[in-house]
Amino acid sequence: MLQQGYSMKYSLVLVTLLSVASFAADKKEDAQPVQVAPAPSNITVVCPTGSCTKPAEVQKVEVINPVEISKPIEIAKPKVEEKKPVAKNDDVLDAKQNLLISVVGQGVAPVNTSSPAQAYALAKRAAVADAYRLIAEKVKGVRIDGQDLVKNMMVKRSTVRTSVQAMVRNANIVETTFKEGLCEVEMEITLSRSQFPR
Amino acid sequence: MRSRDGDHSFTFSISTVVTLFLLLSSALFADEYLISYRSSVKDATLYNETLYISKAMKKCNGTPYNILILDPHNSNDLKTILLQNKEEFTNFLYKIGLNVEHKEETYNSINHSSTVLTLKTTCFKVDFNDNSVKIAPLK
Repeated sequence: MLQQGYSMKYSLVLVTLLSVASFAADKKEDAQPVQVAPAPSNITVVCPTGSCTKPAEVQKVEVINPVEISKPIEIAKPKVEEKKPVAKNDDVLDAKQNLLISVVGQGVAPVNTSSPAQAYALAKRAAVADAYRLIAEKVKGVRIDGQDLVKNMMVKRSTVRTSVQAMVRNANIVETTFKEGLCEVEMEITLSRSQFPR
Repeated sequence: MRSRDGDHSFTFSISTVVTLFLLLSSALFADEYLISYRSSVKDATLYNETLYISKAMKKCNGTPYNILILDPHNSNDLKTILLQNKEEFTNFLYKIGLNVEHKEETYNSINHSSTVLTLKTTCFKVDFNDNSVKIAPLK
């Protein structure tokens, strides 16, 4: 009877040991280290649902040909346009070359003249003044003031004022023509850099 | 032997003075004049043109440049000479240089313009000769 009791005790201990061993084995399986993929060079993310709005969901990470990168990665920079040299313009006053400016001024003879000769002379004066104005405009520039008045979505008044003020020297008359009351005077002026004080 | 001309040095000095006078005669008749010019053009038509000529009451400073030679037409008056050679003298003034003042206004697509050419009062040296008159501005 006492022997039977001992065998019973041993069997209980054995069962306990077996259960502990099996539990430990289960724990060992659970505690297996997670294999970490090597640093990938190319990663393809496949979204089984088609949309990857939730990356934490079902995603498959696949490593394709892990290649060692020897060259530094070039980061795309925004394109900055290089400043091109300004094209050489013929109208720029060069130190070596003189600049010839040619204009054609127009003038009209007054209505009440005593003779055609007087009409011609007066028209020529007006044409020369116009040519001078054109030379001044070309060399020095024009001042322009403009004013438009718009009322009820309509232009009521539009005014443009231009003015030139200059001193013109050494201008030459090249050709004068007089036709049907209109006199045209062609004038030329040669500009050199030495004429302009620095 | 003594020459017929007893006072040789006196005769020589007189002839020298006469020669110098003849050589510098043009300079002796030189005068200085103050001239100004203004021409106004309105809407491409000559509106007004004025030429003021006055004899300088005070000596001008400067050296002559850009000489113009005119035909005097048997006259000693500069104003008459310039009026007789108006075209040439005006072109000469254009070459000397003029101030340009131009104003233009376009009001409701109707354009009006006025241009004024001005020669500021400038001193001219005028040499009256027998068959020509030399005019040169002083700078």
